[in-house]
Amino acid sequence: MLRLILKRLGLMIVMLLGLAVITFTIANVAPGDPARLAAGPDASQEMVEQVRAERGFDKPVPVRFFIYLGQLARGDLGTSVYTGREVARDIAQFLPATLELVLFSITIAVVFGIPLGVLAAVWQNKAGDHGIRLLAVSGAALPMFWLGLMLQWYLALELDLFPLGGRLGVFDDVPPKITGMITIDALLDGDPGTAFTALWHMVLPALALSLPALAAIIRVNRAEMLEVLGRDYVTNARAQGIGPFRIIAAYALKNAILPTLAMIGLRFGWMLGGTVLVEGVFDFPGVGLYAAKAAVSSDFEPIMAVTLILGAAFMVTNLLIDLAYALLDPRVRNQI
Amino acid sequence: MKLRMLTSALALAATLVSPLQAAEKRDGEFWMVIGGRQAVSHIDPGQSYDYSIRMMTQALYDGLVKYTGNPPEVEPWLATDWTTSEDGLTWTFNLAENATFHNGDPVTAEAVVYSYQRVLEMNEGVAWMLSEILKPENIKATGEHTVEFTLDRPYAPFLSFLPWWFIVNPAQVEANVVDGDFGKAWLAENDAGSGPYELERFDQGTAYWLRRDADYWKGFPYEAEDMGGIIYRLIQESSSQRAALMSGEADLVTDLTPEEFEVVGARPDIEVSSTPALTTFGLKMNTQGEYTGDINLRKAVAHAFDYETFVQVYNGNAKLQTSPFADAIRGKVEIDMPRQDLTKAKEFLAKSQWPEGGITLEYVYVQGLEQQRQMGLSLLNSLKELNIELEMVPLTWPNMVARASSVEESPDLLAIFATPVSTDPDAVAIQYHPSSHGKYYGSHFVDDPELAAMIEEARAISEWEQRAPLYEQIQQRIADIQPEIFGMLRQRQFAYRTYVKGYVDSPIRMTAEVDLYPLYIEP
Repeated sequence: MLRLILKRLGLMIVMLLGLAVITFTIANVAPGDPARLAAGPDASQEMVEQVRAERGFDKPVPVRFFIYLGQLARGDLGTSVYTGREVARDIAQFLPATLELVLFSITIAVVFGIPLGVLAAVWQNKAGDHGIRLLAVSGAALPMFWLGLMLQWYLALELDLFPLGGRLGVFDDVPPKITGMITIDALLDGDPGTAFTALWHMVLPALALSLPALAAIIRVNRAEMLEVLGRDYVTNARAQGIGPFRIIAAYALKNAILPTLAMIGLRFGWMLGGTVLVEGVFDFPGVGLYAAKAAVSSDFEPIMAVTLILGAAFMVTNLLIDLAYALLDPRVRNQI
Repeated sequence: MKLRMLTSALALAATLVSPLQAAEKRDGEFWMVIGGRQAVSHIDPGQSYDYSIRMMTQALYDGLVKYTGNPPEVEPWLATDWTTSEDGLTWTFNLAENATFHNGDPVTAEAVVYSYQRVLEMNEGVAWMLSEILKPENIKATGEHTVEFTLDRPYAPFLSFLPWWFIVNPAQVEANVVDGDFGKAWLAENDAGSGPYELERFDQGTAYWLRRDADYWKGFPYEAEDMGGIIYRLIQESSSQRAALMSGEADLVTDLTPEEFEVVGARPDIEVSSTPALTTFGLKMNTQGEYTGDINLRKAVAHAFDYETFVQVYNGNAKLQTSPFADAIRGKVEIDMPRQDLTKAKEFLAKSQWPEGGITLEYVYVQGLEQQRQMGLSLLNSLKELNIELEMVPLTWPNMVARASSVEESPDLLAIFATPVSTDPDAVAIQYHPSSHGKYYGSHFVDDPELAAMIEEARAISEWEQRAPLYEQIQQRIADIQPEIFGMLRQRQFAYRTYVKGYVDSPIRMTAEVDLYPLYIEP
């Protein structure tokens, strides 16, 4: 097992290097003059050239790539040309917000998705199944930002049940930063009220974000459950008079969960990179919005940094899912 | 029943965490929430600037003078009065003796010298406004409250740029200089100013808190002592801004779309302000381009365009330009501008190198800006009459700036908003001078020696009576060479709750910039 982990971590470094090469190349062949961007639209040519020299934009691309790699090795993600802020500092601020939102969303998707998938399979072709499938199809079909806008309009503006956006109200005290995730930091600080407020602010964006994942989990889990429930050992268990709950929970679900687990891993990765629309609607200051703004401004150091970090997160998630596979399935474990 | 219980439970939870509604006091004070769409990258008045940075720095710092009102006038601020020498080279400013920084230090002539020298030596942000006519060593404190600027050559617009140069406290900045960085890192998120507001919290990407300095040396133009401060809160989407304003989570919002603006304007609890901006919008033509290098073709295109489109796409909230200069620019005169006239357009085309048309022009505009796309469609439609095709190319702003920076790459037509930084006519005229080549507003690459000579002459004269007639000729000359389809002045639009008082618009401010100083809340 340890060998597998080390091998995969080694492979991850190679993949991240490849990702760095690709993003750096794209950033440098794209049109746009970063020196002009940094100097400002009114700046004189002399000011632009000064910035070019200061930031090293006048050096050849390969040289700049190795300088960039050197920076990365020191944990320096560079400086935004547009805002002049250190990228690492910005990401340290925005990434925990996205992570918190995505974790909350994936929890909603898993907590509701797996039971609903099971129920749909058990109730196959009955009214309950149809209802759940409708939810699954809607989840796949409804655009996330539209759903966000509708939730915001109806539940926040019309019924005034939820805040319109943000991580906390403007007048709420922010707990001391430990993890950057407000709910956890507030709990660590012994302030459950703020944790609840932060959670309450996340309900609508998390609902909008979780629906596509929920839909996917339902569909995969339903299909797998249907297949497993038709197997001989389940029929045998039924014949032995084992209760239906035990058959599902102890025998069927354990075997049906593996593909669902893979789906959860994929969805988690997608969510990390796909929060931008929801973050925009709900003014949730996360890394998606940060990257999108940087992309529109051709501000490449933030884009490269976010791509690398999300890439790494995706790889780590997949590694964890593979390990979970091994824990759950002795056949996989034995292959390792 | 269950549904009702669920709703009640949600409502109860909502009351526990409901955001403080605006116009409610917090610790006995009103805090005004302004919802804007652009983050504040930093609050250093010496580094780069955009509307959100300007809005903050103007509140935290004072300049020697300040733009106020409509039409905008340069008003004494830290400087109580000033004189200019006969030759127009030496400007002497007397400072208010009671002005103090937020930490209590007096604002002295030395602080003024330090602040101007800092920006000129950094050569960033507003430095371009004065760097060609003012050397750092030629700024001197001649008394504790007297400062003297000696320019390299007479430069009439000098005063009109000073409102954007803010004074920092040298003691605070020097104490925080790291590796000769001029205190940039520290000033990015800390204030060393003497302005009406002090920085209370800088929460990047979320909100920026400014506490009112109740002891502000200049006082406030209102009596409301319970005005605590202003929070500039990021609200990224126009629809969310509208929702926040309607629910009272924001008290003033800055850049609604024309549609959202109409919706909120119809409500009795919301007031709207709509005034012509100094910003002009035009379709700049590359005067050295393969096709648009031909003046007759440019004039043909300018006479083919349906000018009403400019006003229609903003739901009537725009006004056509009647000169290359915006209305609030000093010395603006009415010029006979082209309007749609297909007969004339065809006459000009007949005189061009492409009398039968049969060419394709490129129109570049900002990706995602619906109004600019609609303008392109209208142009495409009009040009069909001349047998000219139009290729519409949406680009991100940085890519547009990149295309505009070289004469070979600059497109035939480029949709550009340009906001002059001062009301002096030189601020607009210079856009048609070769020194603007390479900048986004110089994408027309006008190289007209006669025009350039007039611009250079006018900016060096001190007496307005002598400058004014020159600017009349300059406006006419710019119109004659038709470097763009002169467009419109869009209305500056702001919406705020009726309890927000003191709002004054000034067209000199950037698109979504608000002067925070006179604002207060009175329910």
